[in-house]
Amino acid sequence: MRSQVYEWANLAPGGAGSTLSRSANDQVVQVPANVATDIFIGGLGNNITKPAETTATQFIVIEDISCTPWIAGAVQVRINTTDYFQNPDVTQMNGVPGLASPYPRGSPSSLNPAAANSAYTPDNLLKSFDLYPDVYVLPGQVFQILYTTPQGTGVTATGFTVMCFVKYTLYDGPDALIANKLLELGVTINPNNVDWYKRSLIEQQTRSAVAATAAAAGGQA
Amino acid sequence: MRSQVYAWNGNSFLGNAAGAVAASFVPAQSGVQTSIFIGGFGNNITKPAETTATEFVVIEDVACTPSLPAGGATTAGVAGGIAATLPGQLNTWTLDPAGAPALASRGVIGPRAYLQVRINTTDYFLNPDNVTNDGIPGTGSPYPRSLDFQPSFNLYPDVYVLPGQVWDVRYTSYAPAPNWGKTGNGLLNGADHNAFCKYTLYDGPDALIANKLLEMGISINPGNVDWYKRSLLSAQGM
Repeated sequence: MRSQVYEWANLAPGGAGSTLSRSANDQVVQVPANVATDIFIGGLGNNITKPAETTATQFIVIEDISCTPWIAGAVQVRINTTDYFQNPDVTQMNGVPGLASPYPRGSPSSLNPAAANSAYTPDNLLKSFDLYPDVYVLPGQVFQILYTTPQGTGVTATGFTVMCFVKYTLYDGPDALIANKLLELGVTINPNNVDWYKRSLIEQQTRSAVAATAAAAGGQA
Repeated sequence: MRSQVYAWNGNSFLGNAAGAVAASFVPAQSGVQTSIFIGGFGNNITKPAETTATEFVVIEDVACTPSLPAGGATTAGVAGGIAATLPGQLNTWTLDPAGAPALASRGVIGPRAYLQVRINTTDYFLNPDNVTNDGIPGTGSPYPRSLDFQPSFNLYPDVYVLPGQVWDVRYTSYAPAPNWGKTGNGLLNGADHNAFCKYTLYDGPDALIANKLLEMGISINPGNVDWYKRSLLSAQGM
């Protein structure tokens, strides 16, 4: 099991499209208003080579999502075709607002580029939101992290940089099997509980071995 | 067992690494992973970081200089431009107009720094498509920490470096122009190319116990090592 992160920003060379590798010549790419942009393969900013998905021997637990607080940005988790965050009336929403889960943590809540002396707001946002319980991505599922702003970021020269951040733990191989087992048992999947399950398996094996030895000794007597 | 830290600053005035360039962490290093131990920039050590047969290292935290998203233009304080920063908001970082220095990144104030952990030849942090990435962003795991930059990331589970393995912490920046040149002669202002690594070194019998705990599937930390020692003692009737 490994702790992993993914950071997205609407930055790409020339201020257009997407890039698989960051560079020092990156510029702001326009993010359209009211469009849910997949931070993995959305075609804007830094992207990866294929949709984020788990193989048959992987299990992912998403533990934190956050985004830049300004221009009312929000971040949503989608598993296969199902959005995780919903309105109370079970309608679609943009997800967790960056004001509630800011990235960077401690970020100013806004910046005002229209003023002659544009400046960040002199405040430090703390998180109002904690992704608990975590979001599970089961083996074979596709997941997306979607960034939406109702305002749009503007074009390269006058636009904003926005970022998203995802923290997740990847369980692979035997750890993924244990994660599935814990899910069946209704136990929260985290590194501690996976270790606990491993220990209980080892203890069981030890007890069985001791019992077998004792039984064999009794048979000889 | 001993708690250890290693702090790196890419500016060569802090050290005299072999092959360090006078201009310190130069723009040519943009996008290049640089070892904070033996990378040839800033303060370095004498040989690659590795564990002996009787050592076990647990890396508990890695962090580097954070960055702040900004406007897309290259001029500060104008309509649609980079917002003027305030004290604490990396306000010693400025991005020059018209891309001078040419490699200054636009749209972000700060170095756009990332930190990757490598064990032998394997990078620890991967993208969801299983391709190696630059590692933890300094914005997610900032060093130094402040009210303006607090961690979004906690390295848990820890990273284990087993006996006999070589390990490295590698820094990548996408705006490597040194800001201190603009703010005054090498003053360490906390907004330079910084990296930080916190780890615990288990040696001698503690390393043996750490290996045993690993076999047992128990997290390796000072508390559990002490617990194992106590259980050995109580098994001996002490």
